[in-house]
Amino acid sequence: MKILIIEDEAGLREVVQQSLEKEKYIVETAHDYTSGLDKLGVYDYDCILIDIMLPNGNGLDLLQELKRQKKQSAVIIISAKDAVDDKVKGLDLGADDYLSKPFHLSELHARIKSAIRRNNHNGDNLIVWKNVTLSPEQRTVSIDNKELVLNRKEFDLLYYFIINPNRLINKTAIAEYVWGDHTDQADNLDFVYSQIKNLRKKLKDSDAEVDIQAVYGIGYKMN
Amino acid sequence: MKLQNYTLRYLAITLLLVIPIWAGIFYVLILDEVYDNIDDDLKNSKIIIIRHAFANKELLNTPEFGINKFTIKPLPKGQYSNKEEFSTSKEFMEYDNDNEPIRTLKTIFNDDKGNPYELIIKTSIVEEDELLEDLFLALIGLYVMLVISILAVNHLLLKKIWKSFYTILENLKEIKLGTGSKLKAIDSPIDEFNILEKEVEKMFNRNESIYSSQKQFIENASHELQTPLAISINKLELFAENSILADEQLMEIGKITDTLNRLTRLNKSLLMLSKIENQQFSEEENINFNELILVLTEDYSDLADFKEVKITVTENDILYFKMNKGLAIALISNLLKNALIHNHHNGFVNFIIDKNEMIISNSGNNSPLNSEVIFNRFYRHTTTNESTGLGLSIVKSIINNYSITIEYLFTSHHQFKIIFPKK
Repeated sequence: MKILIIEDEAGLREVVQQSLEKEKYIVETAHDYTSGLDKLGVYDYDCILIDIMLPNGNGLDLLQELKRQKKQSAVIIISAKDAVDDKVKGLDLGADDYLSKPFHLSELHARIKSAIRRNNHNGDNLIVWKNVTLSPEQRTVSIDNKELVLNRKEFDLLYYFIINPNRLINKTAIAEYVWGDHTDQADNLDFVYSQIKNLRKKLKDSDAEVDIQAVYGIGYKMN
Repeated sequence: MKLQNYTLRYLAITLLLVIPIWAGIFYVLILDEVYDNIDDDLKNSKIIIIRHAFANKELLNTPEFGINKFTIKPLPKGQYSNKEEFSTSKEFMEYDNDNEPIRTLKTIFNDDKGNPYELIIKTSIVEEDELLEDLFLALIGLYVMLVISILAVNHLLLKKIWKSFYTILENLKEIKLGTGSKLKAIDSPIDEFNILEKEVEKMFNRNESIYSSQKQFIENASHELQTPLAISINKLELFAENSILADEQLMEIGKITDTLNRLTRLNKSLLMLSKIENQQFSEEENINFNELILVLTEDYSDLADFKEVKITVTENDILYFKMNKGLAIALISNLLKNALIHNHHNGFVNFIIDKNEMIISNSGNNSPLNSEVIFNRFYRHTTTNESTGLGLSIVKSIINNYSITIEYLFTSHHQFKIIFPKK
């Protein structure tokens, strides 16, 4: 899978690239509008991350150019401006998702995966990890082909872990993904812990080969 | 007291003092002139009478006034002075059936043979009491007319003149920074008001530009912070994953990440605030608050369960209000979050929804909050430094945008009453 990052901030470009390479993506980068345009024209990518504010150009114009060339890449807009207008405009122009800075890497992975999955139109893409099979469209989970019944929040939790396997996920990222902006940071640790506890128990009871481990002080990791 | 009436009051009092003084002086001067005139007339009569008496000897014997206004009586021979004596006295007048004042000239003259005669000439003069009375009445009339005309001038002319001033006043009252409102133009013939207007406008524009540049600064600063924050958080996440670190070191990294996450929240809240104040949430729709509250309480139910807080919603009526949906959600969720966070185990959060208002009350700390400051930015009642201290400020700026009012009350529990303007 090839991913293109068009982002002018070297630090962010670097860290996103490293993180994506860990996931075995082939990553290319562009640091401004012109170089982004060059790469877009020459290669095909599965997913393109575009920063809106770029030196010598606007990311939304790149998106337009991409659509004009009828490229099939999934596009995620990354912006420091959490402006509703930009979001609406970006999605109208055919972007698959919009992510505002700062974001957690686990969140970025989740967005990239679901954008690529949706973009491939291959019907129901099952996500399989060890003996756990998850269907994002049906919102069902089965372990060794036996269905495991989860409530909405538990499903969201498991989904987040299963598309970020073997990665250390920050507890704030988990709380934000599943419960939105609802929790107070002071409560995150205990709150997320109590929710994960239930999920772990259900996974264990149905003999899943995966387990969610707490990483002291930071968050959780599924392996 | 209004400016017009204020000036009128002082003018009326001043006139009340000035007019009698002027009247006194005027009276004395006029009377003096009148007497002078009468005396001159009497002296003139004397010359004419003496001349006639020389020509017509019969006149020398006119002992009674009769129809004449003079008497001539012979005096025994002797030395007399030629002095003219004037006197004022009263005499009965048939016409008026009253004693009227008269002026008398008494003098001595000698005929051609050197016999002395006494000549008395009288004439009626001004009745001083009547003059005074007339003058007094005239002055009262004058005073009343002056006051009335000042009043009229004040009300008609001054009203017209000061109209520009009142427009300026109204401008100052109505104008609010950052709302994009404009000053109403005045068109005054008076330079001072035009200068005042120009200066007010300059001052307002200066403030407006300071205000907006300050807002712009907060917004830009918040935006600019996003990328460095993203880099720091992401680098730390990668670092925690990549390295084989001891638990203690991971713990430290966790703390740094938590702090950065807090900064992110703070930053987002500040951005939200400046966006609300910049009125960047323009799309409006009719919001059913009953539905919205039910959805949000459901969203927060995990957190409420975790905190062992019971949320109840009492719907007395359906509350509709036209506003931006995102802001409506932010309004309710900030209040709800606030009520959940500052709560205790086995506590409660109650929503009571009426047609034009809703009340959210919650159990919590047993002392009332200071309602003067709870909506201020960065005010924190509790010692928890994990909250941004911006939640209620966001609530306040949302309701300010829509003329909604909020009241904080403390009975045995904390209570926020939100009153929506009637349609």
